[in-house]
Amino acid sequence: MTSHVTDARSGGRRIGGIGVAREESWAAPDTRRWLQLGLAFIWLLDAVLQFQSFMFSKGFSQMLAGTAPGNPAVIAGPINWSARLIDQHTVVANGAFAVIQLLLGLGIAWRPAVRLALGASIGWAIAVWWLGEGLGGILNGAGSPANGAPGAVIIYALLAVLLWPGKRDRPAPFVAGRFTGAAVARLLWLVLWGSLAYMALLPATRAAKALSGMVAGMASGEPGWLAGLDNHLAAFLAQRGPAAAVVLAVVLAFIAVGVYLPRPAARALIAVAIVTSAAIWIAEGLGGILTGGGTDPNSGLLLALLALTYWPLANSRPAATRSESA
Amino acid sequence: MAGQSWLADTFAGIMIITAAYCVSRLVVARRQHRPTDFRVDGVHVLMGVAMAGMLVPRLRVFWAGGWEIVFGVATAWFAWLTIREWMASREPRTRSAVSHPRAHHLQHVLGCGAMLYMFLAVTSARAASGGSGMSGMAGSAARFPTLALILALGLFGYVVWTADRLPGLATVAAFAARPTSAPVPAGAASYPSTATQASAMAPREDGQARTDGQAPDDSRLRAGQAPATPMSPRLAACCEIAMGVTMGYMLILML
Repeated sequence: MTSHVTDARSGGRRIGGIGVAREESWAAPDTRRWLQLGLAFIWLLDAVLQFQSFMFSKGFSQMLAGTAPGNPAVIAGPINWSARLIDQHTVVANGAFAVIQLLLGLGIAWRPAVRLALGASIGWAIAVWWLGEGLGGILNGAGSPANGAPGAVIIYALLAVLLWPGKRDRPAPFVAGRFTGAAVARLLWLVLWGSLAYMALLPATRAAKALSGMVAGMASGEPGWLAGLDNHLAAFLAQRGPAAAVVLAVVLAFIAVGVYLPRPAARALIAVAIVTSAAIWIAEGLGGILTGGGTDPNSGLLLALLALTYWPLANSRPAATRSESA
Repeated sequence: MAGQSWLADTFAGIMIITAAYCVSRLVVARRQHRPTDFRVDGVHVLMGVAMAGMLVPRLRVFWAGGWEIVFGVATAWFAWLTIREWMASREPRTRSAVSHPRAHHLQHVLGCGAMLYMFLAVTSARAASGGSGMSGMAGSAARFPTLALILALGLFGYVVWTADRLPGLATVAAFAARPTSAPVPAGAASYPSTATQASAMAPREDGQARTDGQAPDDSRLRAGQAPATPMSPRLAACCEIAMGVTMGYMLILML
């Protein structure tokens, strides 16, 4: 009796590469699960980036404190307080941050803990958005689609909500609407991309040298190919900054309304959203992760993952509902 | 290796524990004729010891250049196994029995390749700085940081992929609880921690015992008895996760 024959006869189900599943407890990942795994992957990357030497230095707390200026006192006060606290206990605080993020990543990947980890990630992301990113520069006017606004970490929270494995999924034309419903998911998309379009028209982006300066600043410390790419982009934008900001705003506005359009048009605009996210990520210098000082991959990668959750599906009914009616 | 010394000590400790556990798997499997993937457990021992030595220089146990040879050979070997299994999976006879077997060995090609990359980076950094210790590998030592990032991302992908599949692996207790004369019960089917092992454990068509590094336990199979309880597939997967996270950490430090 060979092992694989035994497995086949008993109904055992082989999980690619690592063993045999118990049929009743494990199902191959569906689209939402793959997207959850994408989120887990990014949390894991975040965690390991948090373990870098720079994060254990005074530079980390100074970086956090740097997000306070320009924010209202009620926002800036807690940022300064937490930065001081981290400054006094840098090693312990940063070690704890990294471990929390590691647990979030592994928790989302490990099915029995997925709800707990997603729920915890929402709370953690909101805290970091405030205390670590100064609400992404929304209130101090420094936010721009090219520098990570509205704050990369809030997109983690948004993804956690949209990818929440509800007990009963709702019919939706995209994965993001399975838990919240299509109407709420569309509204969240509209608010996010609409706010990005709005921020592209603010002086922080639209000023003559704003975009080129932002992109050129990202090139510092990057490997040659990425620095070259960013420097070329910055040179291109140097003479066309305001026009490029307007074009960017128009593209982002089209993307914002894309999810309300019929499926073929929606699909095209989601594809544009993915390409735009990739361009933003390059403009962000991949979040500085190749410089040894990046705390996270910044917003471009997360926007791309978010766009994938809105990819129009062929069938709007959840798999469980389909099998029940079959 | 650059980084916080307490953190390096912690990761090194985890690697030593992992390596020691994999040694125990090899010993117990050999003594009790329990199936395990000897190749994978063996390479985990090597990786654990090598990574501990990179993280904490005083734990180095090999001569300069030795690990490059070891992991160069291991990378080539797992690459060969991947190609061989990919070709075997294209045959209609085996396609349904073993799905995506190459994914398993790709993981080890990636792991061994990452180890090789790190040792080569250390060597070149040492040569450039004129230093003699592993600690000469500062954070900026990698000549190809993008490659380090790609390897780290690949490893994180496998960590997530493995963690997702972890609950689906039957426990040793579930496997051991079945009646010895009965076939593996539905819903509790559990076999070795790797897909390739399951097919490798099968007797060859000519009835000869296999000699490809597995623990076939053919005497039990021929006697019509249920095969011995395998070494824990879940713990093997946990070793993969620990190795992947630690290796990814080391690669990120090289950026």
